Amino acid sequence: MSTNDVPATTVDVTCTVNGEPVQLRLDPRESLLDVLRERLALTGTKKGCDQGHCGACTVHLDGRRVVSCLTPAVQVDGLQVHTIESVTGPDGELHPLQQAFVDNDALQCGYCTPGQIMSGLACIAEGHTADDDEIREYLSGNVCRCGAYVGIVAAVRQAAQR
Amino acid sequence: MRVDAYDKVTGKALYGADRVLPGMAFAALALAKIGRGRVSGVDTSAALAVPGVLLVETKFDLASPGFLMGGGFGFQSLQPMTDDHIAYRGQPIAIVVAETPVAATEAAEAITAEYEEEPFALHLDSEGATTLVQEEAIPLPFLADIKVGDADAVIDSCAVRIEETFEHPPQHAVPMELNGGVVWWQDDRLIVHEGTQNANAVRFGLAQQLGIDAELIEVHSPYVGGGFGQKNSLLVHIGPLAVVSRRLGRPVKLVLARTQTFHNGSFRPATKHRIRLGADATGRILAAVHEVDQQTSRHDLFIAGHTEVTSRLYGFSAFRGRQRLVQTDVQTPGYMRAPFESPSMFAFEQAVDELAHTVGRDPVQLRLDNDTETDPVTGLPFSSRHVGDCLRRGAELFGWSGRNPEPGSMRAEDGSLVGWGVAIGNYPGSIVAANATLTASADGRVTVAVDGHEMGQGIRSTVALLVARDLGIPVADVTVQVGDTTVGTQHLTAGSWGTATALPAVHSGLQELRKHLNVADTGDVDVASAVADAGHAVQVSVGSLGPGQTADALAQTNTGHLAISGPVFPGFVTFSWIAHFVEVHVEPTTCRIRVPRVVSVADCGRVASPVTAASQVRGGVIWGIGAALREESMVDDRVGGFLNTTLEEYPVMVNADVHRIDVDFIDKPDYQFNPVGVKGLGEVSMVGAAAAVANAVHHATGRRHHRLPIRIEHVL
Repeated sequence: MSTNDVPATTVDVTCTVNGEPVQLRLDPRESLLDVLRERLALTGTKKGCDQGHCGACTVHLDGRRVVSCLTPAVQVDGLQVHTIESVTGPDGELHPLQQAFVDNDALQCGYCTPGQIMSGLACIAEGHTADDDEIREYLSGNVCRCGAYVGIVAAVRQAAQR
Repeated sequence: MRVDAYDKVTGKALYGADRVLPGMAFAALALAKIGRGRVSGVDTSAALAVPGVLLVETKFDLASPGFLMGGGFGFQSLQPMTDDHIAYRGQPIAIVVAETPVAATEAAEAITAEYEEEPFALHLDSEGATTLVQEEAIPLPFLADIKVGDADAVIDSCAVRIEETFEHPPQHAVPMELNGGVVWWQDDRLIVHEGTQNANAVRFGLAQQLGIDAELIEVHSPYVGGGFGQKNSLLVHIGPLAVVSRRLGRPVKLVLARTQTFHNGSFRPATKHRIRLGADATGRILAAVHEVDQQTSRHDLFIAGHTEVTSRLYGFSAFRGRQRLVQTDVQTPGYMRAPFESPSMFAFEQAVDELAHTVGRDPVQLRLDNDTETDPVTGLPFSSRHVGDCLRRGAELFGWSGRNPEPGSMRAEDGSLVGWGVAIGNYPGSIVAANATLTASADGRVTVAVDGHEMGQGIRSTVALLVARDLGIPVADVTVQVGDTTVGTQHLTAGSWGTATALPAVHSGLQELRKHLNVADTGDVDVASAVADAGHAVQVSVGSLGPGQTADALAQTNTGHLAISGPVFPGFVTFSWIAHFVEVHVEPTTCRIRVPRVVSVADCGRVASPVTAASQVRGGVIWGIGAALREESMVDDRVGGFLNTTLEEYPVMVNADVHRIDVDFIDKPDYQFNPVGVKGLGEVSMVGAAAAVANAVHHATGRRHHRLPIRIEHVL
């Protein structure tokens, strides 16, 4: 058996990822999730379903939250991508929402946690934190199979009040 | 506090598939599309023509890993792609390796196959399903049907009799982390990164499959992205992955698609429960019968353990259990959180609720009246049983005294029917043989390597807390290593024995460490100066056993096998206990069922880590509500296998489904069970929760539901 040639159709993409300029030559079928994880080694963003059902892969695209598994990577040309790796400060200090997740034990296995935090940040920025019911509704695209929901709502509420 | 929370909130925690290595290739699986039969030819030509494809393989020379519960290492004995037999739809028929994930996926989807189809059976009552009496099929003493007295005769003579049959659907654990990982070879050494609850089984199972020495295999699973039993043994993709990695001389990553995980790991089997209760007019239960039919596969007998818990629930004078296994055409089912206990309690505790309703007794008081200090099965005392306290405290916290016993009598402001339900649950106490190695360093830090896996329950935190408290050092000065076969054995972490196993082992290691540090048996220790006095880092290793276990048990875990003791120990019997109180609202127009609040009070012995313990219980309750109202794996009667294999079609609880869940603990140590006084918690937290929801729905609507989940169409 031999290695076949690489795909004939590629698309060049320029974007920033966590503030750093990135140039990519992409197969147009590649998801942003796979590019972040496998090409850029930013594995804080998780794959939980690859179908847009679970929210574990949530990242920010020009400040808006998207599920990166359903985002073709070619779509980020000219855009700013932010992942969980950009949330922590330069010396490793936690963002107030990350600290709130720790304070409220808003996690168990931790696998969905990066996605929950990226959604939580967007939820706060969008102003959907009027009450617990609104927070629950706007975080219901992020599944936590361990069931840390009570803590997650408390964490977003705490960070939103700051 | 949770010592690994920082790594988890920053995305730094590395799960199985988070390794990105130079030269890494990507694998994908192609699956069988028939319910049962033979694959007569696999056409790989289109797959091989996909640009970037490195290899396509359909046949492997791999030995069976053996079935975990039959002394082996696999979730099932059947290793796909070793012959032409197709036992179930979704069984892998080929593996592709390519330069990119996209190419691997495209190639896997381009694979076609010719089949010779055979009829398949998927339901307990399907034509062709084979029913076996468990105690006859597997004549081992611990699997014999539980029989105390003549339960049927006692029930026949009782003034009040309850007879009900309940059905529980198959369910899938769907941990958020997809099955998969990265494997590579360094010369003859195989390195496996895979999210598993049983690094031992992956290591020794691969050794058996590949015919190599286990010394040449290392397995790393420092973080598991949720296990819930589905990652408790060697899965079928890892052996082939090791083979193709060796052939290519490159690291290979495989992440199963979510749909594929529904057929390539275990699931909670379908069960049918027939409950008979005999009581006097006051609701005193004199005898009970619990008969269970449980689904298994054709190729393995997944043992049923339902009556182990129901026979201990109340002070019966007579009990009869009967467990049968029904062979169907599926992958082998297995242990999903509270595997037998949750379905059993859904059935049994609804029957008890029906008894309370029939005799006109308050369901909390009826349960208290049937409490016992003695195990009805063995006649031995329970080492601790505070379920009465759980019921009393829970009733107070919930405000149970405000309940109108009449079904359909309570209303919310929006007109919703309100139901208040209660149920109790229990889970066997187990301890497994374990090894612990403790190292005190010159900088005053202590490193602990112990059997265990971190899958969200917080094992690093409970161990670190124990060490920090014992030695009087900061928690931050304790490093806990789990899930890594290069630092020690890694026995299966499951069955709620993790804490009750790791803590006594570390406790014993601390006593040994104090001796070698030449410090007092108790009190704070200046680790740095004690190490300086010793002149070198001090390391101790201890083996630890469950009550009544012999050193043979350590030999078992040292060779990758299970070494479990309990719940019956010399002179006593141990179970964890819980009481759940649930409020449901059934909305007047849509009949949608909501659960605005739950109160759960658990008896898990001493609470080792209050923060993680409360989270564990909330998670278990959420699983119980999900079981009651959401989760059902449906089968595909046309083509075999499971039908709803996505997170959209297999709905699990989301944030908006969850409201107030108040948790409390009795927090009384059980020093007879182990010197640290802890009992299991992660699984008992779910047991009875689904029953409490169903009992609340009955209280709200007057309707008893005999199968799960309870959906809108069932309450309309």
